[in-house]
Amino acid sequence: MENLYTNIKSRDLFLRAVKVLPTGIPGHLGPVQSQFIPTSAFPFYAERAEGSHFWDLDGNRYIDYMCAYGPNVLGYNNEAVEAAAREQAAKGNCMPLPGRIQVDLAEKLVNTIEIADWAFFLKNGGDATTFALMTARAATGRTKVIRIEGGYHGVAPWTQGPGAAGVLETDLKENLMAPWNDAEAVESLMDAHRNRVAAFIATPYDHRIFADNQLPAPGYWQRIRELCDKHGVVLIIDDVRAGFRLSMKGSAHYFGFKPDLACYCKALANGHNISAVVGRESLRSAASRVFFTGSYWSSAVPMAAALACLGELERLKGPELMISLGEKVTAGLKTAAEKEGIDLVISGVPSMFYMRIANDDSLMMQQEFCAQCALRGVFFVSHHNHFLNCSLTDDDIAQTLETAARAFKAVAEKYPENLKK
Amino acid sequence: MKNALILARCNLFGVMRNLEVLGSLDQGFQDLARRREMTVQFIVKGGPLGHLSFNGGTVVMKEGRGRSRIILSFTSPDHFNRMVEGKANPLPLKGFTRLKFLTGPFTEMTGLLEKYLRPDEEALKDPVKFKASTILTAYTAFFSLVEIANHDPVGRACARAIPDGTIQIGINGGPGIQIHAQGGTLRAERGYAAKPRAILSFRDLTSAHAVLNGCADTFTALALGDMEMRGFIPMIEHMNPILEMVSLYLK
Repeated sequence: MENLYTNIKSRDLFLRAVKVLPTGIPGHLGPVQSQFIPTSAFPFYAERAEGSHFWDLDGNRYIDYMCAYGPNVLGYNNEAVEAAAREQAAKGNCMPLPGRIQVDLAEKLVNTIEIADWAFFLKNGGDATTFALMTARAATGRTKVIRIEGGYHGVAPWTQGPGAAGVLETDLKENLMAPWNDAEAVESLMDAHRNRVAAFIATPYDHRIFADNQLPAPGYWQRIRELCDKHGVVLIIDDVRAGFRLSMKGSAHYFGFKPDLACYCKALANGHNISAVVGRESLRSAASRVFFTGSYWSSAVPMAAALACLGELERLKGPELMISLGEKVTAGLKTAAEKEGIDLVISGVPSMFYMRIANDDSLMMQQEFCAQCALRGVFFVSHHNHFLNCSLTDDDIAQTLETAARAFKAVAEKYPENLKK
Repeated sequence: MKNALILARCNLFGVMRNLEVLGSLDQGFQDLARRREMTVQFIVKGGPLGHLSFNGGTVVMKEGRGRSRIILSFTSPDHFNRMVEGKANPLPLKGFTRLKFLTGPFTEMTGLLEKYLRPDEEALKDPVKFKASTILTAYTAFFSLVEIANHDPVGRACARAIPDGTIQIGINGGPGIQIHAQGGTLRAERGYAAKPRAILSFRDLTSAHAVLNGCADTFTALALGDMEMRGFIPMIEHMNPILEMVSLYLK
């Protein structure tokens, strides 16, 4: 009989939490937003994290394939990053003036990301996408933005959908929506709204939730670039999720095109809170005119962490390493699934793969698989792309695949009618 | 924003549709409905058209015109809504001789329904009334949701995002409601589906009552296991904003 994890202390803490926090755990780490189905199979709180692992309040250890939804890119508590952060903290963090590290980090980004002529620092991915849009509007004097249906650019009202709580119809009225990989639809929108479109914003590939991730069709980005040039539209890449997991030079470089603005956050500082927008020379003036700031805008510790993180990613050839690790993990998962008659579809770039059990169209088997893995110490979610980090070892991968094999077996036993013959 | 036409549709096809099932929950209603053979037609100018048929204890609500012996006319959706609130009277166009039914048994029936949908605290201490109130509230919420999804502009935008398939709403040990989504149009049906694409279930009547009456938030209920969702969650996620609109309409 296998010993499956229990999460009693997580539950107890959650009962305290619901009394003092809306929903108990607000935001995307909440058990509902995280698609913990059933919630009883998953921990709600982490006690600590190291490398590719985290431990819940009950002492259970998990091999982590969510990496805090992206920020963990080198491994939790990476020594190089934490040493740089400690060193800067000893000098000063939030000060009345920015630290010299701000310039060092901006230079690093300008020298690293292909299209960057300047950098602007913020705190979260959503800050970055909103600042990028404001910059595009300031530069063009136009209002509209073309977005991709199903695309995610944060939680500012303009990024949300109709009916979302607290979002007004007027918040959404400048949005024009186009399907992914459909340059003709984008062209039609630009034609129909000539001289009114300020920006086109999209992720470098379609890594939406609840759907197989789609890479750009051949020529798609080049065509979008042409259309933006023709219509004077600012091309914004939201590289918040994919940044530094495909290429150090930016995911646009990986796919062979040059945006005007690019937004970074998750992998930038290995968990320290900072985001960045980088841009081309032509948008420097507009970016200068947009007033966008906050209490912690110039805090120096995350900048030191980011500088160290970028250095480590370069040293390790991080994107290539994570892609290679992702290939090993996904190949092993597919083999384990096939043994049980389960059709596991893997999509996206391997360093941030999405997986889906395709035997039924309801995701119930997928949810069961993730729950069975969680009960045995491997942390997957059923709705979102996963994230690799550089510290994942061959032992971690071997343990993951052993656990996955048992989880697939449990799924097969529960849904025998859905298995491939 | 709240719209009188949509509210009228919710009142007719969400609230008053409950008369179809009230007989299975309340003996008094059963006694009133037994031996009735008639159809009441509702005509709302600039609003919904529906008829309620009584046939030997069975009650059926349908959209559109029926062969009716009583026609109740309303000058506007607002007029109909005020009638539902008890603040206005309909204009009987046909069936004057049956005014006795309208002012007597029919008024008693709708009064019973109101008692379950707006119960006082004392009534909710009675397990039978609590159960009936919760079930009728659930039917009201999800049948009204469909009206909002198909007719309210924001509701329609949300409904268009719901992938095709059936969402099964269920109360453990209680009734089920199926929401069928097809091409952005929703349809509600009582009962359980053989193969739903998504499932939203309540642990029991108590949790359903708390959530549907706004006494518990859904996120917490889901986290604590008082509610559970499974399957193709985007269906439920895109339905949720419409469910929230129900409480705005039927507050």
